[in-house]
Amino acid sequence: MPFRRVMSCFFLLACCNVSWSEKIAAKHTQLELLAQQTAASPGQQVWLGVHFVLEKGWHIYWVNPGDSGQPPVLQWQLPPGFSAGEIQWPRPEKMQTAHLADYGYHDDVLLLVPVQASKSLSANSRAEIGLDAKWLVCREVCLPDHAQLHLALSVSSSPKDDPSVAPLFTNAHKLVPQPLPRHWKARAESRKGSFVLIVDAGRPLRQAEFFPLHADQVENVAPQKLSVLARGAQIALQKSDQLLKPVPHLQGVLVLPGETAYTIDVPAAER
Amino acid sequence: MRNLVRSALYLFALFILLVTALAARVGEAAPDFTASDSNGKTHHLSDYKGKYVVLEWHNQGCPYTRKHYDSGNMQHLQKEWTAKGVVWFTVISSAPGTQGYVTAGEENEYVRKTKASPTAVLLDPDGNLGHLYAARTTPHMYIIDPRGTLIYNGAIDDHPTSDAADIANSRNYVSSALQAAMAGKPVTDPATRPYGCSVKYKD
Repeated sequence: MPFRRVMSCFFLLACCNVSWSEKIAAKHTQLELLAQQTAASPGQQVWLGVHFVLEKGWHIYWVNPGDSGQPPVLQWQLPPGFSAGEIQWPRPEKMQTAHLADYGYHDDVLLLVPVQASKSLSANSRAEIGLDAKWLVCREVCLPDHAQLHLALSVSSSPKDDPSVAPLFTNAHKLVPQPLPRHWKARAESRKGSFVLIVDAGRPLRQAEFFPLHADQVENVAPQKLSVLARGAQIALQKSDQLLKPVPHLQGVLVLPGETAYTIDVPAAER
Repeated sequence: MRNLVRSALYLFALFILLVTALAARVGEAAPDFTASDSNGKTHHLSDYKGKYVVLEWHNQGCPYTRKHYDSGNMQHLQKEWTAKGVVWFTVISSAPGTQGYVTAGEENEYVRKTKASPTAVLLDPDGNLGHLYAARTTPHMYIIDPRGTLIYNGAIDDHPTSDAADIANSRNYVSSALQAAMAGKPVTDPATRPYGCSVKYKD
């Protein structure tokens, strides 16, 4: 048992505000359910995170997995007074071979989920959080896997950020795409064979990559054509061969290397 | 000499155009192909004009393929539809040394053991047929109607998981499309997102 765990148990027994979970060893993956705060507070939101640590070369998938694969599915078992929100998907990486492109995560990823604690919860109680996680882990081959995770969470009126996981959570929050800054403008055009995303950032954007939120709108493997503009960039995205219906909104994530990732949700005007 | 180079370039451009035009799109003519099966027989798609043809991309090691074979779902579909006159080709595009690659003998043994009943298993280790149809996953399903038009391209069903327990609650897109087309009705979902393992093409 690692030192941190021993200490956690010790503190738990000493009845402080700590959460307790265990690391699960799965196929080419280790995973753990963690809480950002030392306790849930009545009427407040607590951030939980499912931490996947992947063996070198293996990956799991983004909400839009791309040409193949499958995103992880989380099913919560929460005690009364708790409700879980949606997974806050960190920006993905593109994993490309000669003929296919997938979107996902290597090395390690923390899937953040906001959990709301009801006002009616009594402080100084404990909550057993259960999670049934299913995911697909792939390298050249793919292996489906699942695990039952647990987290014992204290309920307290004075929760603090847990210092042992603070860097992990801080980094994970930074990887979640944010709304475009207020002075930026984005629009999209739906042309014959492509979508064109035009972003006005008030400065030239020399590198940018778009990740489509929905499958089968954009040809994932096709190179994206970036034109640097005086006040931003224009990205041409080849439409998918499978696209039969018009796409009224172009939705996805814009990743600028070394910067924040942004959510894009703009009407795609027919041209 | 310059003319020769120019002609060669034109020919090459024409070839690229042809290849682009041949990509499999629903509602358009399905690209013709020639492929050998696991018994050494050669098949041309054009030989099957007048019949429905199903193409099923396959990799026996892939958990998504196994979902439909270990449960008997795929064999059931093959039996049901070939009995109604449909030509069913299982296609293997795994390159040698990758998951799902099999010799003809190994594949015939697999077909016998799993009690599969496709019309034939097409061996495509070079990936030519896979690229012609832009097959992405195993399984990835295509249906060609008796006039040679591609009428379905996509997933086997609406539950993109590797869990066989989901099959009972799934809508099978291949059966739905075949039923509709045979009844003279339009196919409700002619293109869906195929799910499964990536096809293990030669790089």
